[in-house]
Amino acid sequence: MTTAAIPILAQAQPVIPDFGRGSTCVRENGTFCWGWFKDNWGDVFQPALVQHLWLTAIAVGLGFAIAFVAALIAYRLHWFETPFTLFTGFLYTIPSLALFQLLVPITGLTTTTVEIALVSYTLLIIFRNTLLGLRGVPDDVREAARGMGLTRSQMLWRVELPLALPAIVAGIRVATVTVISLATVAAFIVDQGLGAPIRDALQKNFNTEFIAAGLLAVILALIADALIVGAQRLLTPWARRTA
Amino acid sequence: MRTRFLQRVLAALMLVALALGAMACGSDDNGGGSGDQPGKGKPPVTIGSKDFTEQFILGQLYKQALESKGYDVTFKQNIGSTEVIDKALTSGKVDMYPEYTGTILSVVAAQARRPTSEQAAYDAAKKFQEGRGFTLLNKSPFYNSDAVGVTKAYAQKNGLKSIADIKKLGGKFTWGAPPESRNRFEGLKGLREVYGLTAMKFKPLQIGLQYKALESGDIQGGDVFTTDGQLSGGKYIVLTDPKRIFGFQNVAPVVKNSLLSKEGPEFGQTLNAVSAKLTLQAIRQMNAAVDIDKKNPAEVASQFLSANGLK
Amino acid sequence: MGEEDGVNTFADAIRFIGNNTDLLRDKIIEHLELSGAAVGVSILIALPLGIWLGHIHRGYFAAITLANVGRALPSLAVIAIGIALVGLGFVNVLIALVVLAVPIMLTNAYTAVDGVDRDAVEAARGMGMRGRDVLWRIELPLALPLIFAGIRTATVYVIATATLAAIAGGGGLGEIIVSQATYGIAGVVAAALLVTALAFAAEGGFALLQRAVTPRGLRAQRERSEPLVGPAVEATT
Repeated sequence: MTTAAIPILAQAQPVIPDFGRGSTCVRENGTFCWGWFKDNWGDVFQPALVQHLWLTAIAVGLGFAIAFVAALIAYRLHWFETPFTLFTGFLYTIPSLALFQLLVPITGLTTTTVEIALVSYTLLIIFRNTLLGLRGVPDDVREAARGMGLTRSQMLWRVELPLALPAIVAGIRVATVTVISLATVAAFIVDQGLGAPIRDALQKNFNTEFIAAGLLAVILALIADALIVGAQRLLTPWARRTA
Repeated sequence: MRTRFLQRVLAALMLVALALGAMACGSDDNGGGSGDQPGKGKPPVTIGSKDFTEQFILGQLYKQALESKGYDVTFKQNIGSTEVIDKALTSGKVDMYPEYTGTILSVVAAQARRPTSEQAAYDAAKKFQEGRGFTLLNKSPFYNSDAVGVTKAYAQKNGLKSIADIKKLGGKFTWGAPPESRNRFEGLKGLREVYGLTAMKFKPLQIGLQYKALESGDIQGGDVFTTDGQLSGGKYIVLTDPKRIFGFQNVAPVVKNSLLSKEGPEFGQTLNAVSAKLTLQAIRQMNAAVDIDKKNPAEVASQFLSANGLK
Repeated sequence: MGEEDGVNTFADAIRFIGNNTDLLRDKIIEHLELSGAAVGVSILIALPLGIWLGHIHRGYFAAITLANVGRALPSLAVIAIGIALVGLGFVNVLIALVVLAVPIMLTNAYTAVDGVDRDAVEAARGMGMRGRDVLWRIELPLALPLIFAGIRTATVYVIATATLAAIAGGGGLGEIIVSQATYGIAGVVAAALLVTALAFAAEGGFALLQRAVTPRGLRAQRERSEPLVGPAVEATT
């Protein structure tokens, strides 16, 4: 290659390939373009859905661990209830987007920030429901258990908690649905979850993406809700229908 | 007898060497070492991008070009606005990202001085970044400045070619732009002061809504970007800016200096080769493919790189 | 480094509030207008319907389903679907907020009236009261605390969700939070602090109001099953 050819080649205009026209539906921003949705399921929606599930699972898992232990503590040490309720109630009242942004200066634009915020919203519900469930155990049942010679610990794990299960699971159910909803807001912090395609759609004003991501989030929440109700019925066949 | 034996040993050794060499190349790259894979063995790189289409495309272009040369690249898309991504850069969360020369000066460096040419803007930006331990690689041929966009029909009807022509329309002309334009020289301030458009009306709009507002007649002129995909359709045109209030916004990768030396000369060369191909026409078509035809930025970048032998 | 940064940002945020009182005041007013409108419209839709259904003791399953579905609706998703169907602007945001608030108010109103002590209703009927009188003189006063709790929960929820609605052009403090490029990190944190304060003020204000509307006899009973602080989250199965 001669030295003269290189500068000429370097100045050559780029080849701009034909990227392909979008379908008419897409170009005219129809309400929902099924074709585009199908084509982009693997690239856009499936990863977002999986990320969303992970964010939710971690938040509910951690939230349950913290709140459940706290409820057990409050069950034994009565003074603990009010401060913990006040604290978690305080967290619950902070609007989600605000809480995310308030954490950013401290923990950065990371999944940690997102998880701290999401966990915060689960605490009050799970704590209160667990405590209410435990307290709702009828006194005569406790008497009977004591009469049978069960220790406090045995009574807790073999009698009280199983009876409290409906309330506990109800708490997990509300918490899960709440987190699924709030995890969409996480997209403002990290590029993850079903909120990400929603933000993308905002940029391009793209109806199909709005509806696809929105509906997926709604359906996910409804399915999760139904699944947990189902699990609850399986776990506690003896429980009455209304609390 | 001995030479025969030695020959056989040498042949066996060569076979073993070839076999080892073949094993060393995995299924997803051709040849090891520094042949056409200068990136192998070099430290990993994290590229960031801001939160709009053009940045996604640029990030993908740079990422894929580097990856095809064997570099280990992570792409953190959609980090945020200039303020946010610059913080990510200085705190080490990303090693490089594509930035606009004018923005470096006005936002990151917070300078009020306005450069008088593309090259001046680039040089000043580069100087600023080098003072912080970063540098700028080559700039792109295209620049993405704000501009006053109007519908072609309106321009023809009112004889508008340059921004200066707006003056004769007085209060009948409304310019729509994001709220921060109110105080910017590359915005309302410049339009009022430099072009004397004091009678012109202003309507604050969120980014992304200007074309919709232009179409509906809500505004007569919108704050558009010169690389917007919508501008390649023929429906909208950009008024010329003879007084250059909107400045120069060529793209150049901002890279950490220390990283640049660790990655070797081919790193910068690869990126420069990509940047050299980014003409206004090219970037507009790519933006259009993503914004209008709703194609995936990664795919668009991939097709462009392949078509130009960069991948 | 992270800790210092954090404190600096909060200091900057306070400074931002000081320097931008006009802007923030306008945004707060916008936020309250939007929230108020949404709550008002929701009350007009949800309360008559919920109270009437509870009075005639019909629609249990519908109410339960609505409660579950309404609670599950991700707010951002509803806003996004709204943008696609209705477009941007105040009206779309209003519709989305109403869609989210009505289930809460409706189920609370229904549960409240439906669950009024049957003995009290029987006694009233026995005294010769007609249906409408029973509703206005017996059921509503007894149901008021729970109806009110529904309005309270919904209002705080609307104020929080209105923050998100800014992406659809609703205005309010959320607009600052989603426009970091315009207002900087300091502005975002400032607006976040203010909207949090707004949510707490609403929560606290309603808590006080609720005490005022709860008949003294019911107050002790309520306090055992309903929280003093925080939203009333039912432990339903």
